[in-house]
Amino acid sequence: MARLTYLQAISDALKLEMRRDPNVFLIGEDIAVFGGAFKITQGFLDEFGEGRVIDTPIAESGFVGAACAAATVGFRPVVEFQFIDFISCAFDQIVNYAAKCYYRWGIQMPIVLRGPTGGGVHAGPFHSQNPEAWFAHTPGLKVVLPSTARDAKGLLTAAIRDNNPVIYLENKFLYRHYREEVPDGEHVTPLGVAALRTIGSDLSIISYGATVHLCVEVARLLEKEGASVEVVDLRSLVPLDRETILESVKKTSRALVAHEANLTAGFGAEVAALIAHECFDYLDAPVLRVASLDVPVPFSPPLEMAMLPSVDKIAGAARRLLAY
Amino acid sequence: MSQTKPRVNLPDYPAELQADPRDLPYDKDQLRRFYEAMKLARTFEEKLASLYRQGKINGAVYLGMGQEATSVGSVSVLKQGDFFTTVARNLSAYFYKGVEPRDVMARWMGKDIPPSHGRELGLFLADIKNLGNPPYHNGSMASWIPSGAGYALAFKLRKQPNVMLAFTGDGATSPGDFYEGLNFASIHKLPLVIICEVNQFAYSTSLAKQMPVENVADRAPAFNIYAETHFGNDLFLVMEAARRGIEHARGGKGPALIEFKTFRQRGHGEHDDMAYVAPELREFWADRDPIKMYREWLLKRARFKPEEIAAIEDGIAARVDSAIQYAEAQPMPKPESVTERLFAPSPHDPKPEDRLNRYEPIETPSIPGLTASHDKSTGGHF
Repeated sequence: MARLTYLQAISDALKLEMRRDPNVFLIGEDIAVFGGAFKITQGFLDEFGEGRVIDTPIAESGFVGAACAAATVGFRPVVEFQFIDFISCAFDQIVNYAAKCYYRWGIQMPIVLRGPTGGGVHAGPFHSQNPEAWFAHTPGLKVVLPSTARDAKGLLTAAIRDNNPVIYLENKFLYRHYREEVPDGEHVTPLGVAALRTIGSDLSIISYGATVHLCVEVARLLEKEGASVEVVDLRSLVPLDRETILESVKKTSRALVAHEANLTAGFGAEVAALIAHECFDYLDAPVLRVASLDVPVPFSPPLEMAMLPSVDKIAGAARRLLAY
Repeated sequence: MSQTKPRVNLPDYPAELQADPRDLPYDKDQLRRFYEAMKLARTFEEKLASLYRQGKINGAVYLGMGQEATSVGSVSVLKQGDFFTTVARNLSAYFYKGVEPRDVMARWMGKDIPPSHGRELGLFLADIKNLGNPPYHNGSMASWIPSGAGYALAFKLRKQPNVMLAFTGDGATSPGDFYEGLNFASIHKLPLVIICEVNQFAYSTSLAKQMPVENVADRAPAFNIYAETHFGNDLFLVMEAARRGIEHARGGKGPALIEFKTFRQRGHGEHDDMAYVAPELREFWADRDPIKMYREWLLKRARFKPEEIAAIEDGIAARVDSAIQYAEAQPMPKPESVTERLFAPSPHDPKPEDRLNRYEPIETPSIPGLTASHDKSTGGHF
């Protein structure tokens, strides 16, 4: 075990998988000579050479399409988006090529499309977004969002070994703010198994990605107020661990869904509908959602903090549910 | 803005093949094989259009009539292990490479046959192992230029002496993917050959409204790549030009863009009556139909007897008829199969024991929202 940041855990997984499998290569903007805008691939060029760490022109659709193709003939490309906001430039290749290839022809496309998501770092409308719902809505893509350094490593390892296109969404705030003990060597977290971050009996908070940290903080606050809160971290939206969600809600009878992406048609709506459909008879209160407001992510800190979910907003919704 | 009919400028392409058979390295069997692939596609598509009008084919059908020489000529000069991808107009290329008409017909009828099992139209096929035809995205024009660069990249990374040949059309040179794919391929000197069939219309929109240059090849200097432009209905001209492009790419000199001027004899799909095409343009290209010209060349210059040609054509007609019978007899896919084969099985798919230890606490949560001056993290504010 070593104490690693979330970012170091991602680097570690990439490096180990590249050493293990010569078919894994990295492709993206500024990842080779510069080591990546966030330095995730620093030193990779020296170790693996320019055939496996490929700097690209600023042309996401072009290099994503190329990487997708290579994935169908035995390679396992890992594509880095410098900021996940630029994934929209490659949207067509992802939703129409990657997502549909196996369904159309039975030809596998093992590719990982990864990059930093999330706000709270005052980076403005084009360096802060959370696009998971676009991809969770597209059949044929797996969507993974690690909230811890251990999971960042374990889920990325599983994603690289997965035989399908995986959208792997990192959180840039956690990159250098969160660190914990991470297993050395091979560490795999299966895609589609949720984690319980706290165990409780009065309320289930279902979340994923960096928002899980807010939910854990809320659970601690409410514990002091005498409430027992269970935080379910989905870890992947596709595949979705329905069983863990439903088990938890059947136990607590109260459910709150929290995520950083904006509210309308966000993935929380899907979770809320699932709970309403499968757990209606168990519920003691309506399912509530806390998410960002339905506006672009603004730059100025007071605006951005007003837009994002917070410990206070989640705690407020939790108290309403507990008092219902 | 007043709409005036554009004046039709007709090029000076000859209405007969120029090659002297004594200069060609092909024996009679090989010359027959070219004719069979082109004529088989033409006959098949004529039949497919009838079936569509009879309501026996669902959706829409897209035909490649008029583009048989570019299709067959280009793929005929590929070597073992080379890849190619097609657009909607290259059925004859598939037939030349050995695809069975009965399987294509069954796919058009939505039947349950591999590899699509009814999930994809009849004109899109991917079969890497048997055909060298890899999967790519056919939905939006030019989407397959980046994937073409990707297959060429795979050859280069593996040091394989192969090329990737991608058919495309004039309409596909407008989207950004055309630039992004060719730009990447040229930077890395990838063995990518673009066969651009300029068939005069992108759906209904003329070349003049599609591109501000006369030739697609005029765009090649932007990528610093090899390019040629030719009349595309002369089978032997196509072969020579495609071969030069392919050998350029195979020699490690980077991509080649080979442009062929040809004509889409039918509408974008069979639902399109082509009312936007001037009659003199149709007539000009009808006189230069690639199959008609090649047939005349076989008779006049390659010593094929009329009865030999007739026998080939009878055989083709019978083959298409039996393809229809075969296709009609195939089963439709079962409705309950619709959700199958969405995800490929993977080594770390969840197992029951993975659910045993789901409690993994977060000891010290990280809460965003710090302003830059309060942020004590190391290695940058992010």
